[in-house]
Amino acid sequence: MFQPKPMSKLLIVASKQQLEPVITELYRMNIFHIDDFVDKGDEQWEGFKIGMPLKGADTISSSLVKIRSIASAFGIGSDQLNDVAKAKVQALKQSIEKDLPVIADEVEQLLSQRSKLEASIKEYEQKIEALRPFTDAPFPMELLTGYDSISCIAGTVKSKPVLSVSHEIWEKSLKGGLFITVAVRNEDLAAVERSLLDLQLQKVTIPAETGSASALIADYEQKIAGVHKEIEQISAKMTEIRDKHHYFLMSSEELLTADVEQAEAPLRFATTDLAFAVVGWVPTEQVTKVYETLDRVCAGKVYTTELEIEDYNEGPPVEYNNPDFSHPTELFMDIYSRPKYTEVDPTLLMSIVYPIMFGLILGDVGYGLILLAMSFGLRSMVKGSEAGNQLMNVLRNCSISSIIFGVIFSEFFGFSLPWAPLWFSRHIPIGATAEGAHHASAIPQLLVVSIWIGILHITLGRIWGALNASRMEHGHHKSLKMFANIGWILVMWGIIVLIWSKFPIILMPDLSKMPELAGGLNVATIAGAVMLVVGLACIARENALDLMEVPTIISHVLSYTRLIAVGLSSVAIALVTNFIAIGLIINPQLANLTPVGVVLILVGVVVFLFGHALNTALGILGGGLHPLRLHYVEFFTKFYRGGGKKYNPFGMIRKLTEQN
Amino acid sequence: MAAEAVAVEVAAATASAAGLKAVGAGLAVGLAGVGSGLGEMGIGAAAMGAVAENKDMFGLALLFTVLPETIVIFGLVVALLLMFQ
Repeated sequence: MFQPKPMSKLLIVASKQQLEPVITELYRMNIFHIDDFVDKGDEQWEGFKIGMPLKGADTISSSLVKIRSIASAFGIGSDQLNDVAKAKVQALKQSIEKDLPVIADEVEQLLSQRSKLEASIKEYEQKIEALRPFTDAPFPMELLTGYDSISCIAGTVKSKPVLSVSHEIWEKSLKGGLFITVAVRNEDLAAVERSLLDLQLQKVTIPAETGSASALIADYEQKIAGVHKEIEQISAKMTEIRDKHHYFLMSSEELLTADVEQAEAPLRFATTDLAFAVVGWVPTEQVTKVYETLDRVCAGKVYTTELEIEDYNEGPPVEYNNPDFSHPTELFMDIYSRPKYTEVDPTLLMSIVYPIMFGLILGDVGYGLILLAMSFGLRSMVKGSEAGNQLMNVLRNCSISSIIFGVIFSEFFGFSLPWAPLWFSRHIPIGATAEGAHHASAIPQLLVVSIWIGILHITLGRIWGALNASRMEHGHHKSLKMFANIGWILVMWGIIVLIWSKFPIILMPDLSKMPELAGGLNVATIAGAVMLVVGLACIARENALDLMEVPTIISHVLSYTRLIAVGLSSVAIALVTNFIAIGLIINPQLANLTPVGVVLILVGVVVFLFGHALNTALGILGGGLHPLRLHYVEFFTKFYRGGGKKYNPFGMIRKLTEQN
Repeated sequence: MAAEAVAVEVAAATASAAGLKAVGAGLAVGLAGVGSGLGEMGIGAAAMGAVAENKDMFGLALLFTVLPETIVIFGLVVALLLMFQ
């Protein structure tokens, strides 16, 4: 809890004969995080080199490339396969050897046929484009080319040309100009071209075709339709192959990926001519399992030992160690940065506080139910994506919290539920109708509650800051950092006590009536001032420049008022939507029903639905992002460092193939 | 007559006080919103660029983008206090 899983560093050494069994066994166990060997010329690794891949790695890789290219051509993945039996490895290997080349050839042929056909469609389309200007011409296309003494020019010009030489011209008016085809003698060609260029001639090439342009275009269009049909046939064939071999392709992809990863594992090991060594990390609770299993498969011919960890801050990979309900929140931690091995892991706290903050912002039974339905309904869209599932789980937790707070605040789409708010009321009186005005709103009280949340959250952040300093720093720096964190707490509470000693605030202790000591200062004022000064001194000891940050204490605490402020804005939007839709449009029409009134009532219903849909979207954004920001900016900056390595064990979770 | 005139005057004064409060609340939210918008403009554009370069930056980019948002929240809180206290 609040700590990643404890890890142990293991060294495995054996002779080269044991290489394959060790790799296979480590891969099967799927718990060993390999520290890649890098040849840096370290003394302790003198004589070791990076290993060579196992035999057959290149053939497996080339089969894998083939499968992956087919899979990407088909657009298939293993995500689409659910609840299927696992393939037997031996049988699968045989069919990879026998069937894969046949399938690959077939698919390749179909693909090349299809791309050829697609290219021919392009070609026809270009020809149609070239013929398009000549569609209305009264002459067949062959009359424009093939003369010895006459040349034809075709193109668009701005206005009708006046030519002094003898010529034959056909023109067609276009938007903003003319399309012309001119036939002149070869010797006049240059002069004619010049005078046409003055009219901004844009030449087009005359297609060398036979027959009238419109007939030719119709012909090509027919051809394109024919090609489309052929492509359809090929696509149907490909779909057939895809459906038939989907399972085979995906299961062999999985098998070969596992084989390639194992065959290439020696690239991460340190080897000599006769032996190899590998260093890696295993969760401490599983160390004996690794010892025993390796001993068994190598019949004792392997040396495994636990190494001392030199630098906890850099070394161990980080695997979260949280109860089940906190797992979804790990997504938010990974978005920010995975915790370092030695520091406090705030995931558990965040998984509790985040939904509470969400509920405070969007405390409405109606919206909560919509979000709850969404968190189940959208699940099929994120199938197979771990992050997507985590997000849906977070949404589910948040919507439950939203419903609970909705019951407390007595809100349902901005309407009041049959009971009075169980806690402070958020109902806002709006306009003359003042929906829900019968419960007096307690907004100042709610704002103070949110400030309390901020004070406690930030104090906890600073306490964890001191804890992290004690774990991660060394020597003199350690005590400086710890005292600086305590200093920040003292400054914050000093300011708070000073304020309490001067101004009585609702829901906060009133210290202004404390006995006076001297000069109108009471006990609390002096205590607050002392805390403030001592705190400032502690901060300044670590780094005097940090004193510049002292005003952020106030802005960070006040920042928590967003929990109520953003929540109230969503209440206001809901109330206004209800007021416009029901109060202003639907109710007056219902009082005196007319045919036009029925239409207006429908408009009112649309306004109602649109307003609440908008508010739901804003609620997800506001309710989701603001608590996240409060964690990231106000909370994490007090203690969190992040930058831990992800624990990524050597192995895979097999979905489609059996373990061999 | 005089009493009536006073009553009308008092009513007008309360009404204009309420109106000024509403105007003040509107200005608080509106101006604060413009301010955070201007602040987020540059940060958001740069953050988008950073995320396009490297997806891992998303968390940090989001954090930087929403930093100026606090200003508008303060505006909103001031407006709420004006309207409801």
